[in-house]
Amino acid sequence: MTSTILVIAEHADGQIRPVTGEIVACARQLQQLQPADIRIVVLGDPVETLAETLSQKTGLPVDAIRTPHLAEYHGDTYRDVLTDFIKELQPRYICAAHTSQGLDFAPGLAVRIKAACITGVEAIVEADGEICFTRRICGGKLTADIASPNAQIVLSVLPGSFSADSSNATTAGAICYRTAISETSARTIPCGVLRSSVKASGITEADVVVAAGRGIGDRENIALIHRLTALFSGSAVAGSRIVCDQGWLDYAQQVGVTGFSVQPALYIACGISGAVQHVSGMRASGFIVSINSDPNAAIFNVSDICIVEDLKTFIPLFIETATSPHPD
Amino acid sequence: MNILVCIKQVLAAAVRVFPDADTRWIRSDSDEYVMNRFDEFAVEAALQLREALSDGRVDVISVGPERAEAVIRRALGMGADDGIHIITKTCGPIPPAVTAALMAASVRNRNYDLILTGVMSEDDMNAQVGPAMAEMLDLPCATAVIQIERRGISTVYVEREMEGGMRDALEIRLPALLSVQSGAHPPRYPSLSRMLRANRRPIETIPSTDLGMTAPDIHVVRTAFPGKTRAGYFLEGSASEKAAQLLKIFQARSLMR
Ligand SMILES: Cc1cc2nc3c(=O)[nH]c(=O)nc-3n(C[C@H](O)[C@H](O)[C@H](O)COP(=O)(O)OP(=O)(O)OC[C@H]3O[C@@H](n4cnc5c(N)ncnc54)[C@H](O)[C@@H]3O)c2cc1C
Ligand SMILES: Nc1ncnc2c1ncn2[C@@H]1O[C@H](COP(=O)(O)O)[C@@H](O)[C@H]1O
Repeated sequence: MTSTILVIAEHADGQIRPVTGEIVACARQLQQLQPADIRIVVLGDPVETLAETLSQKTGLPVDAIRTPHLAEYHGDTYRDVLTDFIKELQPRYICAAHTSQGLDFAPGLAVRIKAACITGVEAIVEADGEICFTRRICGGKLTADIASPNAQIVLSVLPGSFSADSSNATTAGAICYRTAISETSARTIPCGVLRSSVKASGITEADVVVAAGRGIGDRENIALIHRLTALFSGSAVAGSRIVCDQGWLDYAQQVGVTGFSVQPALYIACGISGAVQHVSGMRASGFIVSINSDPNAAIFNVSDICIVEDLKTFIPLFIETATSPHPD
Repeated sequence: MNILVCIKQVLAAAVRVFPDADTRWIRSDSDEYVMNRFDEFAVEAALQLREALSDGRVDVISVGPERAEAVIRRALGMGADDGIHIITKTCGPIPPAVTAALMAASVRNRNYDLILTGVMSEDDMNAQVGPAMAEMLDLPCATAVIQIERRGISTVYVEREMEGGMRDALEIRLPALLSVQSGAHPPRYPSLSRMLRANRRPIETIPSTDLGMTAPDIHVVRTAFPGKTRAGYFLEGSASEKAAQLLKIFQARSLMR
């Protein structure tokens, strides 16, 4: 019997999320190291359009589970329905997305089916004869290769790590429909999806974005960031989530997965560690300069220019250099 | 309402860490440890619930070596009532399922109405311990929660954060487990008087070996520095030399006049 790699499709608002293509790309890479069939499972109500999109795009077989009343994501239902399905299919690997959905159901699902669980997978490598899954640790400063001898492994795939195949498959995959009996969970009752009223504060249009991280240390030092920003035309001040949580900047200025994505010509990261949730919102910037006191800060791996200095002394020094009359 | 908050001690963000081939884990250049920041938010959320309801208690639990006592003391200093310390001997990483099982085993019969964890630990970054523990205790669960309100005697209303600024609203029956995302209520600092009292308070300790449990095996094969996706050119020299070089770079690229 060949083993199976199961991909759990992610969707929201009636659309398949792009990250699903990345999970498929991860599954295909895994298939190179461990021959297996790949299948996709999608849950929803209605599920037909979602299943057709998946089968046409990927050419892979799709199990479409019509799950009455499940229009949007619901953790208890996902865990219940997927547990039954996985017990029947017995896949070797179960791949979900490391997103707000995957993060929510994958670890519990793994416990329920007695599988190992490895989250935030960004690469697959072979080491010491074992298949290892590479993930970030220590705020992104290091990677760890993780292996498991367990018969079943649940993986969550970090968005942005595997590139999805954008072309359509030549032949569509077979779709297998079934209906899940899901009792409306009495434990967690959905009360709807709320949309945020926060609008980006000019950081998405700016040519130059200067971003403050927790390394600025103090609310007072925001002034320093403003002075640095003022040296550039078409510039705006942004920040990491922590700085916004502190109230030092507004949430409209937050860059990252749960904030805004920016791609200015120049991004200056000041006292930002470079956690993947931040980097995903700024890595497309034209030119990236980072100032950090830790020479091993993860932000330096995604920067063009790296400056190992205390920002509290370096930024005033730079402002002075830039504003003093030129010697020639 | 009785609340338990799971708190972890982690290396401070500014500590330099290196891959260590011998232990297949990490080495650091200092041992400055702090409370995982997401857990500080969870403690704050618990204290605010206790204050809003003016009844119930907030206890904290941590799995870790002797030094982890410091984060329990800090939480007591912030205003928590009691601390439980599951003492481990290992210096290596503990798989998230093991941590979850240890805590689940030790709180199973303690009748907490609500268990809070952080959304993820800053060092291991698994985002697993909370939802895994919920499943082990058969509790309903929501992750990345940024809003919690008590509704009636047996439910809480929560909002969990999703991508693109959207929130998923849920009503959850108690007892339940929530993983807390950082948000607009910054954690309070322990007051000096509370800290002094906290330092004298007894903490319940449980050796992890007393809790006999198993979990699927995951192990670290190696650790490494991540690869670079850009040039990553380090400016050299004194601070003022670096400032002058940076100015030249900006001018050459017409980013500054
Ligand atoms: C589900 C989820 C979603 C998230 N979404 C986002 C998001 O959208 N955006 C986001 O930013 N984060 C997000 N985060 C948080 C993210 O994981 C990190 O915790 C956060 O980005 C770290 O912020 P920071 O770099 O400012 O702080 P830290 O990680 O604390 O880093 C501070 C840095 O400053 C340096 N430093 C300290 N002092 C100085 C000094 N004097 N001079 C120079 N450097 C100094 C330190 O070396 C360190 O590198 C999310 C997390 C989760 C779990
Ligand atoms: N050793 C530990 N002791 C207590 N709580 C922990 C421990 N490890 C993880 N947690 C809790 O679980 C959350 C998620 O951790 P992780 O799964 O490692 O990302 C943390 O924010 C803590 O609340």
